[in-house]
Amino acid sequence: MGEFAVELAGVTRRFREGEREHVVLDALDFEVRAGETVALRGRSGSGKSTLLNLIAGIDTPDAGRVIVAGRELTRLSERERTLFRRAHVGFVYQGFNLVPTLSVADNVRLVLELNDVAKAAADARTQELLEAVGLGDRAASYPDVLSGGEQQRVAIARALAHEPAIVLADEPTGNLDDENARRVLGLLERLVRGAGGTMLIATHSASVARYCDRSVELHHGRLGAAAVPDAAP
Amino acid sequence: MIPVRFRASLGYLRRHPWQLALAVIGIAVGVAVIVAVDLANASARKAFLLSMDAVVGKATHQVLGGPEGIPENVYTRLRTEQGMNAIAPVVAGEARIGTRGLTLIGVDLFAERALRDYTGMLADTGGDAEPLFRAFLTEPGAVVLAAPLAASLKLEPGSAFELTVDGTARSGRLVAVLPDEEQRLGGLVVADIATAQEWLGRTGRLSRIDVRIEPDDEGALARLEAALPPGLRVLGAAGRTQATLDMSAGFMTNLSAMSLLALLVGLFLVMNSTSFSVLQRRPLIGTLRALGVTRRELVSLLLAESAVIGLVAAALGIALGVALGERLLDLVARSINDLYFRVTVTSVAVEPASLLKGLVAGVGAALAGAAIPAWEATGYRPRLALARSVLEERARRALPFVTLAGLVIIGAAVVVLVVSGRNLVAGLAAVFMLISGFSLCAPLFVRVASTALAPLARRLGGTVARMAVAGVGASLSRSGIAVVALAIAVSATIGVSVMVGSFRAAVVDWLDQSLQADLYARAKQGRIDEALVAGVASQDGVAAVSTSRRVVLEEADGRTWLVALAMAPGSYAGIELIDAEPAAVWPAWESRDAVVVSEPYAWHRGVAPGDVVRLPTGRGPREFAVLATYRSYDANASSVLVSRRTFDRWFDDDGIDSIGVYVEDDARPEDVAAALRRRDGATLLEVESNAGLRAAGLDVFDRTFVITDVLYWLALGVAFVGVLSAMLALQLERAREIATLRALGMTPAQVGGMLAAQTGLLGLLSGLAALPLGIVMAWVLIVVINRRAFGWRIEMLVDPGILASSVLLAVVAALLAGVYPAWRAGRASPALAMREE
Repeated sequence: MGEFAVELAGVTRRFREGEREHVVLDALDFEVRAGETVALRGRSGSGKSTLLNLIAGIDTPDAGRVIVAGRELTRLSERERTLFRRAHVGFVYQGFNLVPTLSVADNVRLVLELNDVAKAAADARTQELLEAVGLGDRAASYPDVLSGGEQQRVAIARALAHEPAIVLADEPTGNLDDENARRVLGLLERLVRGAGGTMLIATHSASVARYCDRSVELHHGRLGAAAVPDAAP
Repeated sequence: MIPVRFRASLGYLRRHPWQLALAVIGIAVGVAVIVAVDLANASARKAFLLSMDAVVGKATHQVLGGPEGIPENVYTRLRTEQGMNAIAPVVAGEARIGTRGLTLIGVDLFAERALRDYTGMLADTGGDAEPLFRAFLTEPGAVVLAAPLAASLKLEPGSAFELTVDGTARSGRLVAVLPDEEQRLGGLVVADIATAQEWLGRTGRLSRIDVRIEPDDEGALARLEAALPPGLRVLGAAGRTQATLDMSAGFMTNLSAMSLLALLVGLFLVMNSTSFSVLQRRPLIGTLRALGVTRRELVSLLLAESAVIGLVAAALGIALGVALGERLLDLVARSINDLYFRVTVTSVAVEPASLLKGLVAGVGAALAGAAIPAWEATGYRPRLALARSVLEERARRALPFVTLAGLVIIGAAVVVLVVSGRNLVAGLAAVFMLISGFSLCAPLFVRVASTALAPLARRLGGTVARMAVAGVGASLSRSGIAVVALAIAVSATIGVSVMVGSFRAAVVDWLDQSLQADLYARAKQGRIDEALVAGVASQDGVAAVSTSRRVVLEEADGRTWLVALAMAPGSYAGIELIDAEPAAVWPAWESRDAVVVSEPYAWHRGVAPGDVVRLPTGRGPREFAVLATYRSYDANASSVLVSRRTFDRWFDDDGIDSIGVYVEDDARPEDVAAALRRRDGATLLEVESNAGLRAAGLDVFDRTFVITDVLYWLALGVAFVGVLSAMLALQLERAREIATLRALGMTPAQVGGMLAAQTGLLGLLSGLAALPLGIVMAWVLIVVINRRAFGWRIEMLVDPGILASSVLLAVVAALLAGVYPAWRAGRASPALAMREE
């Protein structure tokens, strides 16, 4: 991986709504340095999730290039993008999206298994991360008995388990109260920075941006000038 | 204007057309099977009643004799001495034109007028009726046929053709065709009485005398009976028709039960689809409840929606059922012809009652399917209706109670079986109760099994395999009903296969045992008499012969097939006595007025060794001692065996139907058969080997069960649609979870594989759940239903191959049903997981 963990050049993404065409991202240029944490701000519907989808290789642009961790995703097949995502991307969602039929530990272990990590190493890594997010004693529990904050901490453990090149978080505190939101963001920042990772957080909240190195604003499909982040509390 | 809350609800169905389509298909197929079987049964029954109506005409009674028939002069005396005018002589027998089996009926046109309208119909055939009457009366071989029958045989008035009567080829000429729009005469060849007597070898004798007694003529019946010589009796015409029809009642009831099974599977499918569509709308239900829509209003809304779906599906099912009925009718009519009586029916008579049944079944199934989930879903507190975990928790909590209810129903079924005596309908009701009871126990089995298998799955296939296994048990409120539907269909295949397999094995054993002779000879042309039997016995290579004569004795309460046997030494072993020692029975049977009765006869008439049976003989009613019961799977199940010597004492009938030929050890059966076929003389013999006769017997057996096969494959088809519907709905339900897995890096193949494993497991659990139910169902079918319907006792044989193939069938059906949902899930965009809630 070079200087940039993420490079987007002239990326355009349109969606059709009946007869109308809606341009969500318009010839967007955007870069994130390796090890940098960036807050991606914007109103609902501004294209934040679409941008994360393009970076994750879930979606492909209509025009432009998307390069993540040195790989040009726009040249890869769907299967190659999936395998790339499996190895190099970690996700944290607003709705947690834990697998309800798996225990807390199995939710974390799932990504390690998908990456062919040996069982003993996967077990150790799972326990290490659950301890790190303060849920070492809840490994055997199922998601439906956890609080929202606890579920999001499991999701963070899952996102970091395979040491991805980039962590993408989409409104990670949207479903949490203030205290849990602070705790989750602090944890996310500490763990990602501690691992030297890159992180992009999509949010509409100004307070979330305080945990990041810088903040960019998505507006009408284009990025606004980079803002200097507010100081962390 | 549709109220907004209705539009809100209907919008869901519009967005998920496949779910709606599968629900409609499920009900439609269930209704189609019900309607088809009902129409086929009703059409066969109606065709039979119409043909009996054509044959019986206005006759209220019939004078019958023994197997030898009635002397012609009895008829003359009744007319001349008793002054009875509303009577007509009839000679009836079997005939064949080409491959078509028909009933030959010889009538006296002049006497007919009072009872039947053949004369009027003949006069209506157009032009000058006089030459037609003359030809019918005077021309040898003159016959009339119904117009549709003549057309199907490609015969026109004036055509000469060959027909076979009593094994002998005869020359016939069609002198006229009778109009027959209602197909009443479809199976009849009508000839002058003298022609029929000659062809049937009954010169001077009648099969019966049809009599019309006016209702106000009170003393007429008594006068008629007093005027008859001993050995003749008077039976009510309607009673005879009913007794004939009753013979097939067990067969038809069993078919109806099979069709109900398809509807039951369909009902589960409807419940499956309806409960999904209700459950998936729980956010909407929660919102509507929160906005102030009452529970009653919501339930009404959901039920109204289901009723409309049921109505549309039932209409489709009825159309499908009429088409399917045409196909089933062939199978039903063929079995009835093979087993019971001749019925000619070419097209389905669409009865409003059958259509109404289909409509009620369809709408009823849709409402029944929707009622419980609708009541349940609307019962949540508005906020709770939004939470899925509440639903699964409720399903989990309800499990012990549901299972307990299942056990109670199974217990009740056992009680019904024990206390219902010989009632066939109660027996079938118990089968359905057993199915319901087992169905209620199946979800617990799924939960326990999936919980138990999950750790094993993880050891073998890792977290993904564990996820697949745990998903089945965790989504019980969705997968449970699919498991039940598939389990019922598979258990029906097990039950019916084990029953048919056991039955077939019993028939094979019985044929092997009863067909003791090496060869069987029947008259191809001419009659078999004592001289011919002696000739066959003296043929080179023949060690011994036996003879049999089968006659039908008609009584007010039904028919008895009396079989007179002249046994060859050592051939007694061919008759398996169930309840007496052969050494004690056979000498008495040969010398006394005694009989051995078939197992079905003993069952239906309630007789046992030591009792007596009263049979109408040529010398009047006579009592015969019952010495034993013998095993018989003969289609004409009510048989009584009598020795030839006893038969000759009581009946003036020297006829012989077939000769059993025992070949000497050093002779080859095929050489002896060839020699017998080449014999000179007036009688030509048709010789069949032991193996040939055995194969023919099994052929009839296999034909009888073709329709059973068709019905259970249809039930399985309905269950297949159920699993497909369940898997699609589960996939919809888990769209976000699947999208998350895709976002985490699972490839489409991995997601598809996981879902396929899940459907495979669903199939495996259904198959395993079906095993006990299938075996119990087989036991009930064999021990209760077959016994009550037909009087047969059959040893149950459970072929492990049937069990294994049924489980495999369940897995394959589920996997096939899972292919499309798995493919769809694999293609689902992981972007869904990124969408905000």
